[in-house]
Amino acid sequence: MADVNHTHEIDVSTHIDADVECTIGELLSAYLDGELRVGELDLVVSHLNDCLECIAEFHDLKEARAAVRMMPMLQVPESAMPAAHYGPELSAFLDGELTADEQQMIVKHLQTCTDCLLELQDLDGARTAIRSLPGLEPPTPIAPRLPVHHQRTSLRRLGVAAAAVIGAILITFNMASSGPEPTAVDLDQLADQHNVRLSVEDGVSGVPVNAPGATP
Amino acid sequence: MAEDRVPTWEDVARRYGRKIYTFAYRLTGNPDDASDLVQEVLLRVRKGLANYTPGSFEGWLWRITRNAFLDEVRKKKRRPTTQLPEDDRAIVGSTPSPDEVLASVRLSDDVQAALLKIPLEFRECVVLCDVVGLSYEEISSAIDAPVGTVRSRIHRGRKQLRGLLTWPM
Repeated sequence: MADVNHTHEIDVSTHIDADVECTIGELLSAYLDGELRVGELDLVVSHLNDCLECIAEFHDLKEARAAVRMMPMLQVPESAMPAAHYGPELSAFLDGELTADEQQMIVKHLQTCTDCLLELQDLDGARTAIRSLPGLEPPTPIAPRLPVHHQRTSLRRLGVAAAAVIGAILITFNMASSGPEPTAVDLDQLADQHNVRLSVEDGVSGVPVNAPGATP
Repeated sequence: MAEDRVPTWEDVARRYGRKIYTFAYRLTGNPDDASDLVQEVLLRVRKGLANYTPGSFEGWLWRITRNAFLDEVRKKKRRPTTQLPEDDRAIVGSTPSPDEVLASVRLSDDVQAALLKIPLEFRECVVLCDVVGLSYEEISSAIDAPVGTVRSRIHRGRKQLRGLLTWPM
């Protein structure tokens, strides 16, 4: 608003601050937008008959609104539009991990979208192939049984034993994949060997894990 | 959009894509941010449609849009840029004369620059009202504020805007 000096008689009671603006001011935008509440329309119309300042302000607001409304709608760059197809949802759909509503939405989409249908078939094929791989029997026992007091005494030793077990499992699987018949490895024996070596190296007179005579 | 049916994602993208992009651009003044926002909003819409209960679709959509916009603003931890790239040259419609195009672009740039100078709370209400075309009630629902607040923000936003526009109208 350029100039707020009043050159005419105004009702001061309708102003918060007579030097700045009328209380009716906020209603002017709503009036412009047809958003006045019941009872406010008469108030605004009668006020506009008397207040030149508000008439000027109404004119300003109208121009500001027109300026914004004159701005064009813009084209969305193609790169901004995400693909209309479903990605991760299709795998979740196959696995029954979607909600009923989501599932319904996918089903509906698949009725019209060949791309997603083909992708679903691919995913299903991959899933079936993975699931058809033979299961391998883990070697038993899968972990050495450790006496309780040894579990408490040396974390380092347990770490070494665990590493030995993991190593043994890896060796087992490696052999299984390279040869026709998986070869069983005595994990107890392997772990014992590592613990004996650890005891000697550390100068610890501990009893090897699973050694005969170890106190449970 | 009919209130009693759930639109498909394609419906939303086709019908509202431009509006969302224009809303985002008018708020940020940056085409990259606007593009990011369109993508984010449409992805959120796609996910949200599964659980959407038919009702005020516009309110629902613009609430998502506004929240996505605020999330982007927070994520980038910066005020929306005031750069004015070439986007307003991408005007669509009939074939105006070169002079008309240039005048329109200049005017549009001025208004865009002025928009970016008014506080975000006012700007979003003005844009939702005058660019997107929402009613005060719908804006109230979108920004989760009382209608009286919406009314006040639109009014104050327009007043500030008019003060910033120097060209004769």
